[in-house]
Amino acid sequence: MNGNTELGIPRRGLRFLRRRARVVGRLGLWSVLETGQTFLMGYAVARALDDGFLAGRADVGLGWLGVGAVAVAVGAYGTGRVYGCVAALVEPLRDRLVRGVVERGVREADGGALSGLTQQVEIARDTFAGLVMVSRSFLFTAAGALIGLFSLAPALLLVVALPLVVGVGLFLATLRPLARRQEAFLVADEALADRLGTVCPALRDITAAGAEEPVAADTGRSVDAERRAARSLAHWGVVRVASLTVGGQLPVVLLLATAPWLLDHGVTPGALVGALAYITQSLLPALQNLVHGLGTSGSRLAVVLRRLAPPGEPSTADATPPPSGPPPPPCDTAPTPSGATSPPHPAADALALSSVTFAYGSAGTPVIDGLDLRVPHGTHLAVVGPSGIGKSTLTGLVAGLLRPRQGTVHLCGQPVPGATSRAHRVLIPQEAYVFRGSLAENLGELRPKPVPEAELWAAAEAVGLTELMVRLGGPAAEVDPGALSAGERQLVALARAYLSYAPVVILDEATCHLDAEAEERAELAFARRPGTTLVVVAHRVSSARRADRVLVMDGRCVAYGEHDELVTRSPLYRDLAGAWSPAPRPDRSPLPAPGPPGSRASEPALPLRDPDGVDPVARPGLAGDGGHVVAHGAVGKVQAAGDLGDGGTLGGQ
Amino acid sequence: MTTLTETGGAPGPAAVSAALGRAAVRNSAPRCAVLALVAVAATGANLALPLVLGQALDLLLAGDPEGSRRVLWCTGLVVALAVLDAVETVLGGTTDARTTAWLRRRLVGHVLAVGPRAVGRFGPGDLVARLVGNAAQAGTAPTTVAALVAGLAGPVGAVVALWLISPWLATVFLLGAPPLVLLLRALARDSAECVTRYQRAQGRIASGLAEAVAGFRTIAAAGTAARTVARVLRPLPELSREGHRVWRVQGRAAARAAALAPLLQLGVVAGAGVLLSQQRLSVGELLAASRYAVLAAGVGVLVGQLSGLVRARAAARRLDEILAEPPTTYGERLLPPSGQGRLELCGVSVGRGGRTVLDGVDLVVPAGTTLAVVGRSGAGKSLLAAVAGRLTDPDEGEVRLDGVPLRELDRRELRRAIAHAFERPALLGGSVEDTIALGVPRPSPARVREAARSAHADAFVRRLPDGYATPCADAPLSGGEAQRLGLARAFARDCRLLVLDDALSSLDTVTEHHITDALHHTTAAGRLIIAHRAATAASADRVAWLDEGRVRAVGAHAELWRVAGYRELFR
Repeated sequence: MNGNTELGIPRRGLRFLRRRARVVGRLGLWSVLETGQTFLMGYAVARALDDGFLAGRADVGLGWLGVGAVAVAVGAYGTGRVYGCVAALVEPLRDRLVRGVVERGVREADGGALSGLTQQVEIARDTFAGLVMVSRSFLFTAAGALIGLFSLAPALLLVVALPLVVGVGLFLATLRPLARRQEAFLVADEALADRLGTVCPALRDITAAGAEEPVAADTGRSVDAERRAARSLAHWGVVRVASLTVGGQLPVVLLLATAPWLLDHGVTPGALVGALAYITQSLLPALQNLVHGLGTSGSRLAVVLRRLAPPGEPSTADATPPPSGPPPPPCDTAPTPSGATSPPHPAADALALSSVTFAYGSAGTPVIDGLDLRVPHGTHLAVVGPSGIGKSTLTGLVAGLLRPRQGTVHLCGQPVPGATSRAHRVLIPQEAYVFRGSLAENLGELRPKPVPEAELWAAAEAVGLTELMVRLGGPAAEVDPGALSAGERQLVALARAYLSYAPVVILDEATCHLDAEAEERAELAFARRPGTTLVVVAHRVSSARRADRVLVMDGRCVAYGEHDELVTRSPLYRDLAGAWSPAPRPDRSPLPAPGPPGSRASEPALPLRDPDGVDPVARPGLAGDGGHVVAHGAVGKVQAAGDLGDGGTLGGQ
Repeated sequence: MTTLTETGGAPGPAAVSAALGRAAVRNSAPRCAVLALVAVAATGANLALPLVLGQALDLLLAGDPEGSRRVLWCTGLVVALAVLDAVETVLGGTTDARTTAWLRRRLVGHVLAVGPRAVGRFGPGDLVARLVGNAAQAGTAPTTVAALVAGLAGPVGAVVALWLISPWLATVFLLGAPPLVLLLRALARDSAECVTRYQRAQGRIASGLAEAVAGFRTIAAAGTAARTVARVLRPLPELSREGHRVWRVQGRAAARAAALAPLLQLGVVAGAGVLLSQQRLSVGELLAASRYAVLAAGVGVLVGQLSGLVRARAAARRLDEILAEPPTTYGERLLPPSGQGRLELCGVSVGRGGRTVLDGVDLVVPAGTTLAVVGRSGAGKSLLAAVAGRLTDPDEGEVRLDGVPLRELDRRELRRAIAHAFERPALLGGSVEDTIALGVPRPSPARVREAARSAHADAFVRRLPDGYATPCADAPLSGGEAQRLGLARAFARDCRLLVLDDALSSLDTVTEHHITDALHHTTAAGRLIIAHRAATAASADRVAWLDEGRVRAVGAHAELWRVAGYRELFR
């Protein structure tokens, strides 16, 4: 599609081969055996006829054919060795592609990387191998045949080579438009698969909306687009036939047409038969393979490579060095006199945001608009607000994962995002990352060196991981992330953060799969961790109650202060605090709520309907809504105390 | 009674037993006939060419002027071969494309007519695989069948030709052929084991990568990408080792295969040479014999064609299974214009997997009121919602909307009258706007925005990179946000009955409160709400308590609250 990238792949391919000149050389040497086979298959037949069978000496003829048979055996051995050389070219390419795919998947959270790994890389591997085999085989077979023709009679070479060159030229000239058709087909095929991949799981929604006809019409368009692309590709098949006819069949006719002249000029009958054998048995099949192989595999490989390794991408350049070096200075010590960046805020502020504005994309409405926030060192801050209001966006900004459109963020006096700020904070998101490996490896991930076992146990005890650690069999035990529950994975992530040297800890609903008790234990562990500033995106009201300060987010309105202060100042906070009031759950024999039965007001799920109402006190009898301000997880993973969860989460974890 | 697939003729039991592959062949019968003729003609030309070539050579060697006429014959044959080959290429390729598209259109139409049952029966992934992969394989059936006769005629004809030249030569060939076949078969067996080990190493990398993609935020925040990459790639050396082994095994097999055909050919030439030296054969005949030996060895191609046909048939059978699922049938009745959305379930029973999930349920949602349905997980709540909106049919009993049984309703009338919102809505359509507007008739852009506002989705949609035009695939939506889009889809239509199947479960309590509040203030329609939270149940006019597929009680939340078992539901 784009001329630039189209040029890129052959050039990069050549560079790839040049770097592996020795392998290419070995490949050439083993292929020469096949050249020898090709050469002898024609030459031996010619000599067997001329010197043997036609001269009445069958033994000589059989001898020459025996030489041919030996050549076949040797050539076959060469073929076997050629596979080894092809492997030495293909496997490094596959390694490189796998490395690139994993690299991109990890760095960009590209879910498509998975199909890239298992499917596209394999397509690249197979097509590249096919391409090398086919083009190599054509080159060496053609060489053997042409040398053979020359040694039988130079005149033969002239008759055969000319149409061959024209045929190959015709094919090469049309290779590019053919590749474009092939690529268009692959793209259309993929688009159709994508389309069906969204329609099939959505059948329930389609039926419910009565949208069968528009969806059928839409899918039909994808089906037709694919059909058109396939048809156009089939039409271009004529070019292949034409180049085969010119390059492979025309020489036969020419050879016969010129036979009287050739026979007059000293060409023997045996040489004529040998020449015909070269054409029909060596050149034509090799050309056939080339024409079919290059046409389809070539463009398939180009498409896949373009997707797997876009040009201009640094192959293995690494932007982030692994964590190393000494632990960063805690916030309260004076900043290191590196001098390069003069911290605009005094070191006393663990976190400082000034006029921060952020929006997704250029057309989106700001999620965060002109936010000012200063969090002194050692503070325990809770962030609350309805779902989707931008709490995770805020943590992303603080952690430097997102860049504000306007304003600045400073962590311990260091600008964010910046090279130095990362060591100062650790962020644990809702979806805990646990990988297959030892438990010690998982826990020590944020430390430059292996963590002493005693320290691992101490951290486990602090956050409440001990039980799991014992059950798994200690720090050396292998962890299978799939076998852990969501809550257990969160405990591992919490212990990992606890062990890191970062003074600022950000928990973005990192305890949402824990029950209230376990959550409290984990939060308190961090609050007591020496020199720690804790930012908690609250999942339950109890988190806010424990905090020194609370940040209430409500779209453009933001309130910041202590719990008691906010209850009077922020209607939303009052609403939220009321709704998730930590009131003791109704015990086994609760009285129905006061008020006449049946009246809806008697059991207000949300007692503070009226934002101006003045009753922040929780009431008993608030059945359900067991303290959750935010439902978490992917859609449907609803659970937790008080909600009727599906899938065994009844009554919380 | 109507179905969506009337154009294709509703496939009754008779249609099901007729294999789809055969139907596909019939569908392109003329093309297949032409293809078969072309293929046979090409094979004939291919078989004639060595003979004419040999004769021409003999005549030329003898200096006979007849020779130049034979050369012309040769030229004619070569040109004819080229033309036939071109026709076969184009016609074969376009027929494959045509058949595949025909199959896919027919299957997509059928799957849509079956509805959600199709996903329940096959699973979404398998369904996609059948429509994409199997349809493409089955689509090649007609051309494969057409080429089969010619594919068989080629090698057989070549052996016969050898026999005609000299029975000795055919004997030499036939004796040498069996080892060829045996060795080719060994190829597949040898490589299986290292391929398995290769795939296992690949699987370990893939699962490491999947974990890392899911833990993206942690890795990005910690800056441990390089470490993670190195860890995920730990099995790479093994992958590489096994990869090399696979090539080596294949190389050995290929070497044997590469040796056999030329050796066979040399054997035939040797036999012909001996006959030539005894003057029982001409040079031209030797040339022809050598060529026929090669053509006869092409029996491998036939094996490939046969296995292609087997694959196509297996694929067609998998497609047949889809067609065997009968489409949902609809009636032609319309709703009474005066109705306000009164829903009645009378003695409704539904079984799933041999278990009775709903057992004789009787329920009424009076027009303009809200009925909340609560119960333990597995009590049959979602199935009840599906039955109420005719996303599935009850095995026994009847569901009526404003007095008309749902089965007798016209499809458009039915879908217009009942709107659904789900716990996990499928977000299909190009953009966020399209996904809200899904359905017939399509609501206006203004209506879409109004619905989004009622569902508390407008604010976050406008914060997306391109607002309402943002493609769904590019919108980073949380569970609660996706639910709100699903609600907006239901709100964007004027319906008589609104069915919310756990559609508020991922919302925070404040938002949920606002939405249910808005719901109760619209009196135009009846509302059936599957609820998990007490707050939702409390806000409904009445609550139906479902227990093990039966209605245990119906009443106001406050009344039911007195029953301990009811309170237990919300623990």
